[in-house]
Amino acid sequence: MKKLTSIDEFTAMHTQLVADARGDIPTIVISAGTCGRASGANALIRAAEKELLQKNLTDRIRLRITGCHGFCAMEPSVLVEPGRTFYPRISPDDMVTIIDATARGTIAAELLYVDPETGKTIEQQDELPFFKKQLRTIMGRNEKVDPIRIHDYIGNGGYLPLAKALSRRDPKFVLEEIIASGLRGRGGAGFPTGQKWTLFAAQRNSGAKYIICNADEGDPGAYMDRSVLEGNPHSILEGMLIGAYATGASEGIIYIRTEYPLAIQHLNTALSQARELGVLGENILGTGFSFDIGIVKGAGAFVCGEETALIASIEGRMGEPRQRPPFPIAKGLNGKPTMINNVETWANIPIIIDAGARAFAAIGTEKSSGTKIFSLVGKIRNTGLVEIPMGMTINEVVRNIGGGSARKGKIKAIQTGGPSGGCIPSSLFDLPIDYDSLAKVGSIMGSGGMIVMDDSTCMVDVAKYFMNFLQDESCGKCFTCRKGTQRLHEILEDITCGKGLPEHLTLLEELAQTVKDTTMCGLGQTAANPVLSTLKYFREEYERHIDDKRCDAFVCKQLTGAPCQAACPVDTEAWRYVAMIEKGDYEEAYRVIRSANPFPAVSARVCDRKCESRCSLGTSGGEAVAIRALKRFVTDRVKPSTYKPVLAKKKRQRVAVVGAGPAGITAAHCLSLRGYGVTVFEAEDRPGGMLTCSLPAYRLPRDVVEKEIKTLLNRRIKMEFGRVLGKDMTVQDLLAGRYDAVFLAFGAHESMRLDLRHEDVRGVFPSIEFLKAFNMRGEELARGHVGVIGGGNSAVDAARVALRQKDVTSVSLFYRRTREEMPAYEEEIDAALEEGVRIETLISPVKIRVRQEEIEAAVREGVELETLVSPVKIHSRKGRLVDIECIRNRLGDVDATGRRKPLPIPGSEFRVRLDTLIVAVGEKPKSEFLASMGLDIDKSGRIRVNAKTLETSLRGVFAGGDLVTGPNTVIDAVAAGKKAAESIDRYLQKKPLAKPATPKLPSVYVEPAQAGESEDKAGARAATPSLAPAERMKNYREVEMALPETAARTESRRCLRCDLAFTEKKSADGSVRSVGEGARHG
Amino acid sequence: MNSEEIEKIVEHHTGRQGSIMTILEDIQSKFHYLPEEALRIVAHRTGRSLVDIYGVATFYKAFSLKPRGKHLISCCLGTACHVRGGQAIAEEFQRQLHVAAGETTADNEITFETVNCLGACALGPIVVSDGHYSANVNARKVGQIIRHTKAGVYRTSGDSTHDTFPLEVSCPHCRRSLLDNENRLGGYPSVRIRVSAEDRSGWARFSSLYGNFVKRYEIDVPENAMVALFCPHCSSNLQGDGRCVQCNAPMADVRVNEKGSVLSICTRKECSGHMLDLNGTTK
Repeated sequence: MKKLTSIDEFTAMHTQLVADARGDIPTIVISAGTCGRASGANALIRAAEKELLQKNLTDRIRLRITGCHGFCAMEPSVLVEPGRTFYPRISPDDMVTIIDATARGTIAAELLYVDPETGKTIEQQDELPFFKKQLRTIMGRNEKVDPIRIHDYIGNGGYLPLAKALSRRDPKFVLEEIIASGLRGRGGAGFPTGQKWTLFAAQRNSGAKYIICNADEGDPGAYMDRSVLEGNPHSILEGMLIGAYATGASEGIIYIRTEYPLAIQHLNTALSQARELGVLGENILGTGFSFDIGIVKGAGAFVCGEETALIASIEGRMGEPRQRPPFPIAKGLNGKPTMINNVETWANIPIIIDAGARAFAAIGTEKSSGTKIFSLVGKIRNTGLVEIPMGMTINEVVRNIGGGSARKGKIKAIQTGGPSGGCIPSSLFDLPIDYDSLAKVGSIMGSGGMIVMDDSTCMVDVAKYFMNFLQDESCGKCFTCRKGTQRLHEILEDITCGKGLPEHLTLLEELAQTVKDTTMCGLGQTAANPVLSTLKYFREEYERHIDDKRCDAFVCKQLTGAPCQAACPVDTEAWRYVAMIEKGDYEEAYRVIRSANPFPAVSARVCDRKCESRCSLGTSGGEAVAIRALKRFVTDRVKPSTYKPVLAKKKRQRVAVVGAGPAGITAAHCLSLRGYGVTVFEAEDRPGGMLTCSLPAYRLPRDVVEKEIKTLLNRRIKMEFGRVLGKDMTVQDLLAGRYDAVFLAFGAHESMRLDLRHEDVRGVFPSIEFLKAFNMRGEELARGHVGVIGGGNSAVDAARVALRQKDVTSVSLFYRRTREEMPAYEEEIDAALEEGVRIETLISPVKIRVRQEEIEAAVREGVELETLVSPVKIHSRKGRLVDIECIRNRLGDVDATGRRKPLPIPGSEFRVRLDTLIVAVGEKPKSEFLASMGLDIDKSGRIRVNAKTLETSLRGVFAGGDLVTGPNTVIDAVAAGKKAAESIDRYLQKKPLAKPATPKLPSVYVEPAQAGESEDKAGARAATPSLAPAERMKNYREVEMALPETAARTESRRCLRCDLAFTEKKSADGSVRSVGEGARHG
Repeated sequence: MNSEEIEKIVEHHTGRQGSIMTILEDIQSKFHYLPEEALRIVAHRTGRSLVDIYGVATFYKAFSLKPRGKHLISCCLGTACHVRGGQAIAEEFQRQLHVAAGETTADNEITFETVNCLGACALGPIVVSDGHYSANVNARKVGQIIRHTKAGVYRTSGDSTHDTFPLEVSCPHCRRSLLDNENRLGGYPSVRIRVSAEDRSGWARFSSLYGNFVKRYEIDVPENAMVALFCPHCSSNLQGDGRCVQCNAPMADVRVNEKGSVLSICTRKECSGHMLDLNGTTK
């Protein structure tokens, strides 16, 4: 490399490079920062090199290896210029395809990015939702340059700003530009850069003056600096050179963390190339300006990001901050004036000098100009580096650029500013992102980490995480920081282990404030932020940990135990019966199931499997153990009489249970075991509630329900059918009569209405009515073309029942959101689709049309139909449904349920001819009459209870099941029945109703399977056998079948046995029971 | 431990900014820990008290006063990795390796540590073993990472060898082939080149497999020395303009095809640094 000795030589070189650039030659650009390489970019590079050489294409297609392009979730990715075609997640074989296509001048369409929102392929990088809203003044340059080739940088305008600054021969010009740009420090605190530079420039008569690039990017979760250092190291050098020229600095140092080996490598190469070319070192470009830069590596101490600690570290001392003033600007490294700026701040300098201060200041907000890079990570779909103009809202970044949640989770907060920052709840996502707004809500901009958290993130755990980090990283100089962070961590540890006390919250607040007020450096002063902000916005999570000993995110181990058990509403030791199946002891497995759940056979078919959704195997990247299928295997095989419940001595008190559904029967059963006499009042002529009247027989055969209920009844339980509360009796009657307590559990049997006209015409049925008619009386109400509106389980059930009825020709399901958001269980939807139910999503009904003489005419004529629906005719009772008019929706912003709101698209209405319409938009309890009995009812008709004890507002009256929750699952109803029995027992025994909560941890040691067998864990989940769709048509045979024994045994061996962490050690000292020594039930 | 080596390191960095840190880092990277004797030498040579040096050596996480294992596995516990379950990964490593974080296995094979952030947050949980990044790690991948680390899979230049391919290299000056079909390396013709180092000169044989970079010197070359490479036909010095990204030594250029593609290889004896410039634009 020839050394350049004048600005003219430099500009000539730049001109030549631009002329040689040949932008028309296709170039394959491979994103190969650390993220890219970790995802396989190296193999892509090799594949591309091989292919280009072997196909002899090196003069027709260029290859550029660059730093990170920012869309890390799609790594390894490839960009093909000049068309800017984006190929995500490319394999080496795909690379061959891409080169092939590029050589032919086409695009490898099958490898393009598919927008998960719309399902459409997108060709151009800039059209991707992830990139579209960004303003990539810094990040955008990464893809232009190979970081180890200085000519790439110069060819793209690099070092021109330096030349511009030098040729002015006026350092003041630079200073004024930086001041006018409004640039603020990107390291986090946001100090005005121009002001800092002016102060530093004024430092004279000192000999040496240092400028430092703070590349000790220690904030966990932030990595934008790494990406710039790796991808465009010259931009940092140039920023520092311009800064040195403007302020008269004599030497530059880049203090970089040792965890960034690639960045260090690229910086070293950049430094030596810059020196060789004459843009760094002595007499730069012949202007007489001399400046050189050295690298000092940090050694893994977070506090060294603090400027005085950083200086101490460079001086070879422990990285302890010192008191300021004197500020480093006056007295810094080696006692000389020292100015420290962050990587991203330096990277902005050439941009400002190039485009001018005014252009820069025009970006962003008045007080926060320019762009900011964020690392958007955590529980978000599009993870990566995002550069946005300041002032964009959090929502835009999280929803539009980030694409929302990565899985089905609901995003609840972002964390910004690292350990010094705070958590911002989703309710504040309308906040613009700038220094002052973030500070106002208790966080800080920080260096730009933006960690997205969803409902599987525990906020107490997050606070604990940061406190652990900070107690580790506190240098120890200030007592309150050293001990304060330790104590905060200990208290949080106690809370997450179930040892929290209500007064801990006040203590946390008090201690946090003390640490904040009495420490010297930024680390200590901000250390309390994670605790204070989570306490402020997520106090109820703390309270749940303390009062209920529950961690709803299933993160805190000591509160969760085995996730399958913790997830189960009835506290079934799923791990334990799975282990018993593995041992071949199916009877014991049955006893384990039955001891927790009176409805094992029913649950084995219709449980919504909360256990599986929390299975560690599933949440750690594999497929959850098929727990329900294993339960089915056991319940099909073992006789219910294997479990012998213990009957307590008869007590004199009697309890009335209203409703013979799963909640009522469970409560009656449990109360009878406790010795009480129970009478169950049921409005229908048989027990079962939703199990019999709503759930279709192909999912839950009738005889299974009947047999199971029979096992639960005994001589202490009296059944009275055809008895309706509100008609035949009141709660007061019951209490005044023979009963000492009442449990209300008559469910939610009233279908919600669409609230459209003609909803009562013939051919339109509320789903409950439709299902009941068939399930209880065998009436087939559907015929012809059937439409079902709704997306819940009852909608899908109704659709599938309809399909089986003999006069039905077709069934369509209409739902207002997308399929992903349908609340029915996934596999039910899949099964329905297999059987031929068409699901039309993004449709909501706006108008139901009725059959009339006039309209029949209008149908043939077409357009005038609208006007012909006159109000008078609508009221006609002779009408019968002929079609419904629908309007198409699009999805808008996220609503309170965490799902995106459907918004109608005007003008997209269309009609569907239907003979039957089933309305399945939800159910609510028939409960208006309860208010007159003095019970507290909410506006959805649900009865209000104390969630912990199920007491209602009336003494001695308890309620549970769908009546309290609205339509819910069978297992939740069973759980309510169990809880009610417990509460009523305590009530009748005159004990305090609420029991202090204790975490339910595995307490029985079951030996793990022998080594070797554990290899099965990697295996695939057992598929549940089911009836072929053809065999299901027009009949009600049960669709799902039981696993064969070998499959069940294999499946049981996949269990990770999370329980062992709680029982293994203890079994040695005898504090935990072992199987075989009195572990039997009953 | 060789005290001369320590003295050399100290001497090399004396007088520069951040010299103590750099000295300790160099010692650490050479011995994988900071031996007591080394700290004494550093204290003596730099005129700082041993207490002072000890303070520095124990303040920073990257330094270790205990010998480390042959392999290093670092599990990231940055915030992004943490919310995606990094803690459970760290626990699984500790369980399978039977060590606590910061400790070395009894057989001295693996040192396991947790780090605060490795800056690959989008791909978390991240584990780095011998410099190799594993992305989106879950508990079930832990066993495999340990096995691969022990087997040294991650040490072999980062890439697996199956994607290597032979290059037909020639002299950029006389354009004659540098391949020797008679003597093969790894099943492919070897690259035969004249070399000189210090006062010696002779022959060397390189693999022609790109991505393999086996270098066999037929002369005695001291450790870490730079070697000059010459064309066996026209005797031109092959040294080019570039410098090695890994070690900053000068690179030697050879011609790869008639379209200007150039392969640069590092002239330092042990260094595997190389750069393929397909378009021949680095001039």
